[in-house]
Amino acid sequence: MFNTLFTGLKIVLTPSTFLMITAGTILGVIFGAMPGVSASMAVALALPFAYAMNPVIAIAFLVAVYCASITGGGITAILFRIPGTPSSAPTTFDGYPMAQRGEAGKALGFSLVASAVGGLIAAFAMALISPQLSAVALKFGPSELFAVSFLGLSVLSCLDSGNIVKTLISGLLGLLLACVGMDPMLGIARFTWGNSTLLSGIEMIPVMIGLFAVTEVLKQTVKQKKIDGNQESENNGRMKTVLPSFAELWETKITMLRASILGTVVGILPGAGATIASFLSYAIEKKVSKHPEKLGTGIPDGIVASEAANNAATGGSMVPLLSLGIPGGNAAAIMMTALVIKGVQIGPMLIKTQPEYLASVFGSMLLTNVVMVIVAMGVAKVFAKILAVPYSVLGPVIVMLAAIGAYALNNNTGDVVLMAGAGIIGYMFVKLGYNSAALVLGLVLGQMCESNFRRAYTLTNGSLVQIFTKPITAVIMTACVIMLLYPFVKPFISKKEA
Amino acid sequence: MDIIFSLILAIFCVYCFFLVGAESPAATSTELGAAFWPRIILVLMIILLVVNIVNSLKAQKESKGSIMDELNLGGFFRSRLFVGIILVAVMALLMSTVGFIPDCLLFLIAYGFLLGEKRIPLLVVRSLAITAILYVIFQGALDIMLARGVGPFREFALFFEMLLPF
Repeated sequence: MFNTLFTGLKIVLTPSTFLMITAGTILGVIFGAMPGVSASMAVALALPFAYAMNPVIAIAFLVAVYCASITGGGITAILFRIPGTPSSAPTTFDGYPMAQRGEAGKALGFSLVASAVGGLIAAFAMALISPQLSAVALKFGPSELFAVSFLGLSVLSCLDSGNIVKTLISGLLGLLLACVGMDPMLGIARFTWGNSTLLSGIEMIPVMIGLFAVTEVLKQTVKQKKIDGNQESENNGRMKTVLPSFAELWETKITMLRASILGTVVGILPGAGATIASFLSYAIEKKVSKHPEKLGTGIPDGIVASEAANNAATGGSMVPLLSLGIPGGNAAAIMMTALVIKGVQIGPMLIKTQPEYLASVFGSMLLTNVVMVIVAMGVAKVFAKILAVPYSVLGPVIVMLAAIGAYALNNNTGDVVLMAGAGIIGYMFVKLGYNSAALVLGLVLGQMCESNFRRAYTLTNGSLVQIFTKPITAVIMTACVIMLLYPFVKPFISKKEA
Repeated sequence: MDIIFSLILAIFCVYCFFLVGAESPAATSTELGAAFWPRIILVLMIILLVVNIVNSLKAQKESKGSIMDELNLGGFFRSRLFVGIILVAVMALLMSTVGFIPDCLLFLIAYGFLLGEKRIPLLVVRSLAITAILYVIFQGALDIMLARGVGPFREFALFFEMLLPF
């Protein structure tokens, strides 16, 4: 156990590895901050560099790119309401309002520290209890994964308590959009109206970019007084990326710890990943927070919940990849390919035959999460300068960046049309009081929820009782019921206490 | 407006409910079928949309308004918002035909003008510079094959691709 820790540190503290990890961190933060360049695309873009490296350094480099890209996604989410990666979408809920109030620097500070803490906790979990965590992950079959995704969906009841009906409609609309395309079990076309483009389903990234970024530009277009400049322009773009004080950080300690543990666990589950981790963490924060009404208005807890969880999930996804050979997500799959080409034996034998790789991943995650705070601060300062640009320049550029982000996904202009449509519908949603975040959540979780439920149904020969009485499923579903009923029961409890 | 939106969405949901049933084979004892999940969602949506319509009608009755009160189509069509929506839609639709470079340049100029920039020469120069920067970063450095367009626009894009040093 502790051998991994020491070997890892020994590997990453050699000058060449240290240099590569720093370079990977810089690349990752920049890629992550670019809308549409997802974590997996960042790893793919960094792959050619890794081919020329020694395998141990290569994995350390790729891990650095992966972890840093998730953190980089939070920068544009806070400054421009464009989530650089899908997992940064919940960061916009509190990060952007803080930036709008002129507290962008503080929001970024919380985001970076939370990301680092989440990443470090996941790294230690990976190094110390990787075999045990893998054993837990193996117990998660379709019914358990359905329960996890349902837990994510229970967020819908708390995203906007002011208008629960409209929030639920928005979430259901997202779930319905996730049904478009080929049915995950039988391969039957649904809601495609004979259109072959729709067969592959509705991509989440263009919809998300449209709903957040394009909608925001349309909103600002209507607001006459903001046209000539952004609020931050008063400082000529000289925004301070202030690290929160120790006292401020201490106030978020429970949120940070909870989000980090949750992110690590969700990251381990195959098919879940950083996006689900951040949404789930934000939802749980909203449920257990002492002041849930403030979440979404721009408070550090919301940023911490999202960023600590999504970064912890990157560490979590390394556990099944290295110890079982199961990639937790797309980025992990790309890394796995690169390592297999390099002759690394990924799987249960890795720890015994090539322990230096596990140690290298651990060491890289440790170093990346420390270096990342410094690098991301620098990148954030450069991005923040953009805030000083007049909105007549910034607004159209945001739309074009969104268009490139949507297009880059499949090199398909159809995705740009989808992004524009989502932006226009998103504006209508805002105007009518519906919830765009709920729609994104439905779209993210829709297929995972449906496919796992149907798989579980088939595996149990059509027995719903068997599905819901499995121990892990039963515990998670009970938690879902408690979470769903808590807002209704809470007033009665408070009355009784009074 | 909300009532009209909810009503249209509810009608669409009813249509989808029957459509998905007609498209998918029937469920078996061990397979729920392709229509099962969407139908659950659609039923829940229809119920919630009806609740929303009833809530909105109640609220309207209390405020003594009518469905048409919030509708001001004339004002909407003359608004900056409408022009903005059209520009975004046109940019998205034209990208496959004219390619990234002309599409981006024209959109930056048009939207910048809409947002109040009246110094046309400055706007054009700035838009040209931004288009060039975006093109070099994404097409050049990140190797993302941006849309080329068709016909002469494709030739134009290919010419620029040859100029890139990457």
